[in-house]
Amino acid sequence: MTAPVITPIEITEQNSATDLDKPWKVIVWDDPINLMSYVTFVFRKLFGHSKEKATRLMLEVHTTGKAVVATGPREKSELDVFRLHEHGLWATMERDS
Amino acid sequence: MSPSFHRRFRNHKGQVIVALPREEREALGEFLGQLRGMLVDDSDPSLRRLKPPAQPDDPASELDYREMIGDDLLTARLEAIDIVESGLDGATLDEDDVAAWMQSLNCLRLVLGERFEVEGVDPDIADSDSPMFDIYHWLAWLLEQLVEAAMPGLDH
Repeated sequence: MTAPVITPIEITEQNSATDLDKPWKVIVWDDPINLMSYVTFVFRKLFGHSKEKATRLMLEVHTTGKAVVATGPREKSELDVFRLHEHGLWATMERDS
Repeated sequence: MSPSFHRRFRNHKGQVIVALPREEREALGEFLGQLRGMLVDDSDPSLRRLKPPAQPDDPASELDYREMIGDDLLTARLEAIDIVESGLDGATLDEDDVAAWMQSLNCLRLVLGERFEVEGVDPDIADSDSPMFDIYHWLAWLLEQLVEAAMPGLDH
């Protein structure tokens, strides 16, 4: 499989140092199509979660509409989102507030 | 769509083995061919779920993200389809192959599911003999089996 080539991104916005230090969070949103067993599998595979943790996250997505599945620096979050999209999950990322 | 009940994916000594009946091989091959055409053409609105935004609330960052990934997602999907097509007649899947099969089966479900949503029908309650519903549920049935067969591989 092809992995995305992550290239450094030039920050053009006026970010304060604290903003840049803040980690990003990767969110998976509920959708009516993806199978629960498949979503659990993908969480385990991509993030190395135990079966219990992956199932809990999947149920959180299913019952509350979304769940934070990973946090980390921007580049890692971009890769996480890419891999989730590759698997057909509805994932977004945002700066942790 | 399931003339004989035998498992299409099974785990044999840690390896995932594909065994599809002929009619299912032909159907899947046909659908994957259509999916490839749609992906390359990139104009069908049913593809929406295959390329969701990464940062919907931040258009500038979203643009950066799109520029960064370029065609990587498309390339990955096309490569996954190639892998599935090469194993339609029976194959032993390694980890990358399993991912390719899962992603491709799921892509087909996402395209069909998006069409149902646009049409305002719920495939789980629709009272219809549309073959599209049968195909959608058959794909789910295949994907469930593949997940189950691949599950032991996660423990290693």
